[in-house]
Amino acid sequence: MAALLELEEVRAGYGQTSVLHGVSMSVEEGQIVSLLGANGAGKTTTLRSITGGVRWTGDIRYSGRSLKRLSTEDVVRCGIAHVPEGRGILTELTVDENLRLGSHLRKDGSDVRKDYDRVFEYFPVLRDRRRLSASTLSGGEQQMLAVARALLMRPRLMLLDEPSLGLAPIVVRAIFEIIRTINQADGVAIFLVEQNARLALEISSHAYVLEVGRVAVSGASSELMGKESVRRSYLGY
Amino acid sequence: MQEFIQLLVSGLANGGIFASLALALVLIYNAMGLVNFAQGEMAMFATFIAFTLIGRGFNYWIAFPLTLVIAFAGGVLIERVVIRPVERAPVLTLVIVTLGLATLVNGTAGFLFGYEPRVFPSPFSVRTVNIIGAFVSYRDLGVIATSAVVLVLIYVLLQRTTLGLTMRAAAHHPEASRLLGVRVSWMLALGWGLASAVGALSGIMVAPVLVLEPNLMQTIIIYAFAAAVLGGIESPLGAVVGGLIVGVTVNLAGAYIPFVGGDLQLAVALAIIVGVLVIKPNGLFGRASVRNV
Amino acid sequence: MRRLRSLPPRYWLVLVVVLFFVGLPTVVPSFQSSEWAQVLIFAIVIMGLNILVGFSGQISLGHGALMALGAYTSAILIHRYHMDYLVTIPIAGLLTGAVGFLLGIPALRLSALYLALATFALAVVTPSLIKRPADLTGGVRGILIAAPDPPQFAKDAFGAVTGGSAMTSDQWLYYVSLMIAILLFWFAWNLVRNRPGRAMRAIRDREVAAAASGINIAGYKTLAFGISAFYAGIAGALYGLTSGFVSPDSFPLALSFQLLVGTVIGGLASIAGPLIGGTFTFWLPIVSSQFVGSQPWIPTQIASTFKDAGPAVTYGALLILIMIFAPNGIAGLLASGYAYLRRRLLGAADRKSGHMPPDPQTV
Repeated sequence: MAALLELEEVRAGYGQTSVLHGVSMSVEEGQIVSLLGANGAGKTTTLRSITGGVRWTGDIRYSGRSLKRLSTEDVVRCGIAHVPEGRGILTELTVDENLRLGSHLRKDGSDVRKDYDRVFEYFPVLRDRRRLSASTLSGGEQQMLAVARALLMRPRLMLLDEPSLGLAPIVVRAIFEIIRTINQADGVAIFLVEQNARLALEISSHAYVLEVGRVAVSGASSELMGKESVRRSYLGY
Repeated sequence: MQEFIQLLVSGLANGGIFASLALALVLIYNAMGLVNFAQGEMAMFATFIAFTLIGRGFNYWIAFPLTLVIAFAGGVLIERVVIRPVERAPVLTLVIVTLGLATLVNGTAGFLFGYEPRVFPSPFSVRTVNIIGAFVSYRDLGVIATSAVVLVLIYVLLQRTTLGLTMRAAAHHPEASRLLGVRVSWMLALGWGLASAVGALSGIMVAPVLVLEPNLMQTIIIYAFAAAVLGGIESPLGAVVGGLIVGVTVNLAGAYIPFVGGDLQLAVALAIIVGVLVIKPNGLFGRASVRNV
Repeated sequence: MRRLRSLPPRYWLVLVVVLFFVGLPTVVPSFQSSEWAQVLIFAIVIMGLNILVGFSGQISLGHGALMALGAYTSAILIHRYHMDYLVTIPIAGLLTGAVGFLLGIPALRLSALYLALATFALAVVTPSLIKRPADLTGGVRGILIAAPDPPQFAKDAFGAVTGGSAMTSDQWLYYVSLMIAILLFWFAWNLVRNRPGRAMRAIRDREVAAAASGINIAGYKTLAFGISAFYAGIAGALYGLTSGFVSPDSFPLALSFQLLVGTVIGGLASIAGPLIGGTFTFWLPIVSSQFVGSQPWIPTQIASTFKDAGPAVTYGALLILIMIFAPNGIAGLLASGYAYLRRRLLGAADRKSGHMPPDPQTV
């Protein structure tokens, strides 16, 4: 059975500089997969390739269908939510308007309302600040907003780029709990880029480690955590 | 006192006209960071279309909204054909393209409709009504009312509908919006359509006061620039408020400041533009943006 | 002999062009000299505008107004104060240049777009502003300028070259314009090739980086404004002289617009651009209105409205097309075409020529 997301020999870069030199990975339906590696290894570029933010060669398939030549909007409309580095919050708009942009493509009215209830249950602060400009939120709150908004899109696959970046540990724990819940309750597959390798390995079932644009190591997260050589060389602990 | 009220009301009416055109400028500025120098000419062209429709027997109150729809379509078309190829070009290129567009539209109007001045009908009579002792014309009141209705509709569209939301999102945050499935490029086209329709309103309102000919909007656009700059080029609310202030100020200046008289009112608009840009470039409602170096 | 042959082809081209212009009045009727003088006058303004827009990256839609300032300065000095017309030219230039420099100061605070807006408004208001102080400017009627008699040495030289023809005032003014144009061209060329030019280009391309490397941004930008105004002022004075009069309607918004168009179509930040631009600015309206009228298969009604509307339609459409397909203007196109041909025909020998590619426009 084909995986939900498949990358095959993907090369990508910016202008003259090549960042990915032929990476192959896959994410199964309902699976959490982490993508680890040092700064500059190409993790963000990988996510960007999937949603068409950077030029790539090779093949990327979603539900068996190639994403080549699709615009970002069209890729997203297939059911992929991407929370980018920096969170992509529309600061000119209110919290509520940001959320509405998450759900604006959906036709199932009553389910949307249910999802809003769930989102506010996970992140009560968002309900409190609904009418305020999104720019008034703190870093952690913006991350919550970004995840909530992605949730409202009812995706089958969620791409998360460094959700822990710049956040206090307690906030990070909360967010990762919710990520786990989303995955277990709704079966949303998650492709998680993280610098915090330990957290990522704890939550994911499978992991890839990128080094200078290539897959250096891959395997079950539990195995990678167990192998001391892998931890030392690639994960820094 | 009566004269003051009369000037105030007619100033507000003029202000409504300036506000509409200024709003068109602000919509496009928000969408692309560009001042559309062709906005006035596009409005003039739409006004000619309205004139033609009325000439063919359409009732004014049917021709009017019909023209707005046609203007909307025209705006979308222009964005797709003329602007799209240069969407990412530097500012100077875009300025020249809109200037070229202005010339092209003006020349096309001259070619299709000729240069003789026409009288544009107004549904409002020129009779006056007595308000607190001042004689205010129905026409001015009609302009104020019509402008207000259309501007409120635009507000509702932008602020209360999903379409308006996606348009605003695409204008301010194109990349992030794409990641939410918003078709940013089409939103830009719709923005142009909407701006074109709002501009057409301005033309139709002013045509009965002046004469309809291809150079109709060339002074109006200056007042609209002044209104947009005064209100803050990014703020739709600012455009409306700015328009009203400019309308009233120019009227009062023309009447009470002898140096200005009738023919230097345009210079008042220039003075407003220069004054605002020197003292507070962001205008009344604009946000202070970081200007490098 | 060796040195002559190793001069790049560009120098030969310049020489040919200069010779062409010097010889022109000797072979064409006098009124055509006057027309070509106007081409040169536009080229002068465009040289200045080129420095402002193409090299220092600031937009001006108000150079028609600056031309008006120069023209009226010269006209008033001649008419009211009976100054020698030749003396009024540099005075007009310097005065306009100073005004331009002063305008450049608030311009620093404006982004490119706002500056375009402000100068646009200035250009629109200028005719009204001129009409106001009627006793100074002659109001709506303007000021008439008597055609100056050519000096004796010029008459003799002209007569000698053309076998006895008497030099007209138009032809003399043509040569005055030509000499000034050559002088100003040489000045601009030097400016651009040396430090000021490089500094301006640095500012245009990456203002933040330029500031970081110690370039005085404010200084160069206002300098660019002042220089371009100087050129416009001189051109304005010449314009008044060659037309024989100045009036508020000689300097409408359309003029400012046509000047910017000529600058861009000629080719921004290029050396040949201004001349191409000047030619374009002068000839297009005439050609497009005459062309349609002379075609027998177009019915007269259409032809007569096209005569009024045609130039605008052609201008507008051409401008848009050029911006889409050739943003570096005609000079840019020619230079690319030339470079392409060289590569095809000469291949490796190209490396030694030192041919400079056109500056990419990144305003």
